Amino acid sequence: MLTYNLRLAWKSIRRHPVLSTLIIAGIALGVGVSTTFITAYHVLASDPVPGKSGSLYYVRTNSWGAVDNPFREGPPPLLSYRDAREILKNGVPVRRTASFASRMTVFPPSQKSQERPTREGVRLTTSDFFAMFNAPFQYGGPWNREADAKPEAVAVISAALNHRLFGGQDSVGRTFRLDDRDFKVAGVLAPWRPRVRAYDLVVDPLAEPEAVFIPLEWVGPMEIRVSGSQYNWRSPEPGEEKLPFLDRLVLQESLFFQLWVELPDEARVKAFQSWLDAYVAEQKKLGRFPHRPDNRVTPLLALMDELRVVPPQTKALAAISLLFLVVAALNLIGLFLGKFLARASTVGVRRALGASRWTIFVQHLVECELMGLAGGTLGVLLALGGLAILNRVYGDGPDGVPFFQLDVPMIGGAVLLSLVAGAIAGLYPAWRICAIPPARHLKNQ
Amino acid sequence: MEFGPIFRSLLRNRARVVLIVAEVALTLAIVANCMSLILDTRAQLARESGFDDEHMALIRSTPFAEGLDKQEVLDQLVDSDLETLRAMPGVKAASNTTLEPWEAGGSISAIRLPGTRDEPMESQFYAADPSTFDSLGIPIIQGRGFTREEFEHGASATPTETLPVVISKSLADAAFPDGKAVGRELASSDESQRYLVVGLIDHFYKPLGAAEDRVMLTPGRTASFDYGSTYLVRTEGDPGALLPRMEKALLAKEKGRFLRLRTVVEVRDEYHRRDRLLVGTLNGVMALLVLVTALGIVGLTSFSVTERRRQIGTRRALGASKAAIVRQFLLENWMVTSLGVVLGAALAYALNFGLVTWVAGAKLSVLVVAVGAAGLWLIGVASALGPALRGAQVPPALATRNV
Repeated sequence: MLTYNLRLAWKSIRRHPVLSTLIIAGIALGVGVSTTFITAYHVLASDPVPGKSGSLYYVRTNSWGAVDNPFREGPPPLLSYRDAREILKNGVPVRRTASFASRMTVFPPSQKSQERPTREGVRLTTSDFFAMFNAPFQYGGPWNREADAKPEAVAVISAALNHRLFGGQDSVGRTFRLDDRDFKVAGVLAPWRPRVRAYDLVVDPLAEPEAVFIPLEWVGPMEIRVSGSQYNWRSPEPGEEKLPFLDRLVLQESLFFQLWVELPDEARVKAFQSWLDAYVAEQKKLGRFPHRPDNRVTPLLALMDELRVVPPQTKALAAISLLFLVVAALNLIGLFLGKFLARASTVGVRRALGASRWTIFVQHLVECELMGLAGGTLGVLLALGGLAILNRVYGDGPDGVPFFQLDVPMIGGAVLLSLVAGAIAGLYPAWRICAIPPARHLKNQ
Repeated sequence: MEFGPIFRSLLRNRARVVLIVAEVALTLAIVANCMSLILDTRAQLARESGFDDEHMALIRSTPFAEGLDKQEVLDQLVDSDLETLRAMPGVKAASNTTLEPWEAGGSISAIRLPGTRDEPMESQFYAADPSTFDSLGIPIIQGRGFTREEFEHGASATPTETLPVVISKSLADAAFPDGKAVGRELASSDESQRYLVVGLIDHFYKPLGAAEDRVMLTPGRTASFDYGSTYLVRTEGDPGALLPRMEKALLAKEKGRFLRLRTVVEVRDEYHRRDRLLVGTLNGVMALLVLVTALGIVGLTSFSVTERRRQIGTRRALGASKAAIVRQFLLENWMVTSLGVVLGAALAYALNFGLVTWVAGAKLSVLVVAVGAAGLWLIGVASALGPALRGAQVPPALATRNV
């Protein structure tokens, strides 16, 4: 029966090529436009650390020391070196990491010394970073916790940098020069392009991950400067510039560290929050933290919302594109109605020859679904084109993977959407046509 | 006019009426909100920096060679680079400054009038040299620019000294409403640093927080091993054509560094990239939507014409002219579209309220809704024209054939 219905549907589609093209194009446009923008929204708004985001918390305190406080809606989004170091010592979180980004010079290994060095993004962080943010390793792994404290000259590098420096081989244990120091490769990441860098929601969440990761404590010995946002409230005292870099860093109270803790249960969240409050109270006694205490331990997804990581325009476009689909479906009802009622006389004959209403209804619904499916398939192709345009702006990852990609659930969703649109739009016209009294259309034959 | 019969015939075709009204209403709601977003974004895109963007290039030089980590060496390199650039044909001016027009990011600090406890004002801060104003292609509208001595002294100035500064007119107007800024003093918000206003520049715009049109330029050379130095070059013609030669000349002087050369127009386009994409996308969505709706109206009207061929034939046989038939269908369509437009205007405000409350965007202006409504009205009626004309071709004989 289904094959018979499909054959009838195919014949009917071929009999009215213009109308059928219009219908299919209508579905394709509706599905294409909405799939494009819903995918864009879905890619940006979906959980950036699946399975873990529930236990990752971002830490903020109000350490601003000047009388005029420019942060009116809450504490400054970044921490000072001094506070980051103290908070990292706390044992309540099962994992903890602080980080900031810099740019440094990477020199190729000696056998390639004729090549010019390159300037690379470097993240200074701690060993827990990789496990907390699900960074995938290709070779080796993170450095160990001892390397954090000392610090040891070890690094984790991106797949792309490993390809350039070591031809993509397992380079664990080999060395390369970063600014004026040789670093040993502890691990090589697999190609990694999170669409939202959960660890850097405050400064540059949509950028690619850095090419090099090294222990945070190198900030002092190598005198590494931040590249990206920093907030300063303190003017240096005369003579201060002669102090060692690390002492200046502590004195400066520059805010540029992002600190995350992993707190797997509510009890730990409470314990950490009260420890943080106590820490700030203690610092207040030392004359720091002059403003009203505002210590926040914010879950990852809540912070994404607060910082508006997903551009609001993306949300607006997703909403608008859904309405677009509604208009396309309304349009479809009209077109189906016109198409079906135009052959009322044929249906009249079939009904007179004994076809039941149900048979006619199913026959027409099958035709709607067939066109829905064709339109949906075209719509997915259109969405691929639409996303390609968006990707021209958002760019490809280091591994050549475009920023926005249709994943299997989205493709499935698009096809389902087209079937639902076909069914909803076809329901009323199919009902109208099967309700036709056979006698009226026989009269004129 | 035949309002009565048309109205009654519409009541008998409720499905068609509901479909067209809903389509037109939703389309107007979406189009009005898209237009509102577009106008908003385009207003952003149209803002001008106030500088000679088309004739400027930005060069960033970041050293990596070991010998370059000494301050004297870096300072000398800045001076020799500027000489090299100025000596090139086609270069009008070259300067060492941290002011990079249209570059995302920058530096903001709070300042206030010395001795007051008012809410401090935020301003962007950049270092400049005596040629910076020439490189930006702007005049000093009041007072003067920086002298060579101020520039040379700038980097070594101690915080206790008062720094000469050039500020933008909007900052001057905010700080000194009496219009006399030159010769007056400003201070950092904790008053640890004092500034003496020596000159004013006119319009300044660089999107950065709340201080997008306010800037304070301080004299001083900027060269460091970690952050490098930036040169702003103004050229006679298109600066893009000169970039490869500039790169070659600078590398010939010192190759232990990275150079990044861009025209300011490139930097500006990069800054506008996402906004432009948004405008393009919204335009595309709007065009497709109107197309879909127009096709829908064409389809529904043709269907209604086909369904009523015999009725048309009868009317024609009873003496109605072709024009009367066309009028009948146009009038019918006009009534339905009007209803859709009225509902759509209300829906547009509802959608706008939702977007502004939960997502983003600006309030809808009446003008946008009116323009959208008028456009959709025309499109609606125009879409019905084709089918109506075809309907008019139905021969009167059709009415008699099957009786």
